[in-house]
Amino acid sequence: MISIKDISKTFGKQQALKSINLEFKKGECVALIGPNGSGKTTLIKIILGLLFPTSGNLTVNGVNIEKNVDYRADIGYMPQMSRLPENMTVAQVFALMKRLRKDVKELDTDIYEAFDIDGMSKKGLGKLSGGMRQKVSAALAFLFNPDILILDEPTAALDPVSNENLKQKISRVLADGKMVIITSHNLSDLDGIVDRVIYLMDGEVYFDKSIDELRSSTGEERLNKMIVKSLKPQLV
Amino acid sequence: MIQIARYLTIDLLKNRAVIGSFLLFVAIGWGLFFIENQPEKALLMVMQVTLLLLPLITLIFSCIYYYNSYEFTVLLLSNPIKRSAVIQAFFIALSISFSFAYTIGIGLPLLLNNPSPESVIMLVSGNFLLWIFVGIALFICTKVNDKVKGIGLVLILWAFFAFLFDGLLILIMYQFGAYPIEKLILILTFLNPIDISRISVIMQTDASAMMGLSGAVFVDFFGSMKGLVISFSALLLWVAVMYLGSVRNFRKSDL
Repeated sequence: MISIKDISKTFGKQQALKSINLEFKKGECVALIGPNGSGKTTLIKIILGLLFPTSGNLTVNGVNIEKNVDYRADIGYMPQMSRLPENMTVAQVFALMKRLRKDVKELDTDIYEAFDIDGMSKKGLGKLSGGMRQKVSAALAFLFNPDILILDEPTAALDPVSNENLKQKISRVLADGKMVIITSHNLSDLDGIVDRVIYLMDGEVYFDKSIDELRSSTGEERLNKMIVKSLKPQLV
Repeated sequence: MIQIARYLTIDLLKNRAVIGSFLLFVAIGWGLFFIENQPEKALLMVMQVTLLLLPLITLIFSCIYYYNSYEFTVLLLSNPIKRSAVIQAFFIALSISFSFAYTIGIGLPLLLNNPSPESVIMLVSGNFLLWIFVGIALFICTKVNDKVKGIGLVLILWAFFAFLFDGLLILIMYQFGAYPIEKLILILTFLNPIDISRISVIMQTDASAMMGLSGAVFVDFFGSMKGLVISFSALLLWVAVMYLGSVRNFRKSDL
């Protein structure tokens, strides 16, 4: 679904990504993790066309994303929403997005309903708490039935019930053959849903392993322990 | 693009800074006509205050609004929407909101207290001016990703257009006073949209008589219909250049 070939990105003298090669396949749930400044956000922004790679190329469903916007119809993005037009209401955001995506006839309102977005529809975005913004962001990401979901710190501000609702939804879309990329610092939230872990460090892929590989190489069951053990040689 | 602009405009018209600007314009418009009995003098006072404040308000607010809507921009661009549509929507929404605040806030007292061609010229050139400065703000913001640097840069630009440019012109006029440089000064004036607006209004009033020899060249030019058309065309060109420049920057920039 997503094919990344030799992608590099530099900001001035700083190299944020160094010749990254990755393949993301249908039905996969990939955890993209790494310390701050490792290049996770840069990579996601390149996939979304928000940053232009210095070199390399990237295809989504076989289509080169350079000078192309249509491929984004297949992507649902859940950003961390902090800077937003403060007087725009939740209802207006959804109305605008629906007008922009008139082509999508069948909407996925599972998260919209589970998070009771209707209940906050009259509130201005500036008056929403961090958790409410996160819910709006999640509901928008799933709304247009995308084949690829990119979730940036999806559980950061969610309450435990909403967190569980979101995890169940992710499991259901994976069962439908969709692909999910999740970036998160909270590894315990990813337990049980991810089946592949890509660890970025200093703009390079430090490791790219399936959960089964990590489990057998570390002998651990919990994701955070698997990661810590896999990183130990580097930490020492 | 129209849909995005529509929702951004609704958001902006409820924004405290836009409402505050509107109230400030109302206070300036009605207040100065209340203080000054002679409508033409009051018009010149309103002009001086607005030509100073209008660019400053539009520059700073447009920058802050653009930077503060970063995640919303990202959210929009994660959909199959062209980048140009998003920045065009920002330009249109900011221009409409400030045009509304200015036209009602300043225009109403101006046209009611001094219904004259110079009031209409002031209103039209003021609108051009705010579109230009919305364009300049977006041009800078789409080039500079750092909010503090961006706002700092627009403040420097405002100081340049509001004060420094005129200082440079005066310096040239004094240094080369012995030469017939009036036409050169006239041409240089077109490099500053605030000056084009100011002179277009002043030349329609009696105050133009106090401008000496160089004023005579200006009156000849700006006082005529042809001059007015050329100066409004220059303002329109400024709008177009800044608008197209910000669209170009936004299409090529990393977000």
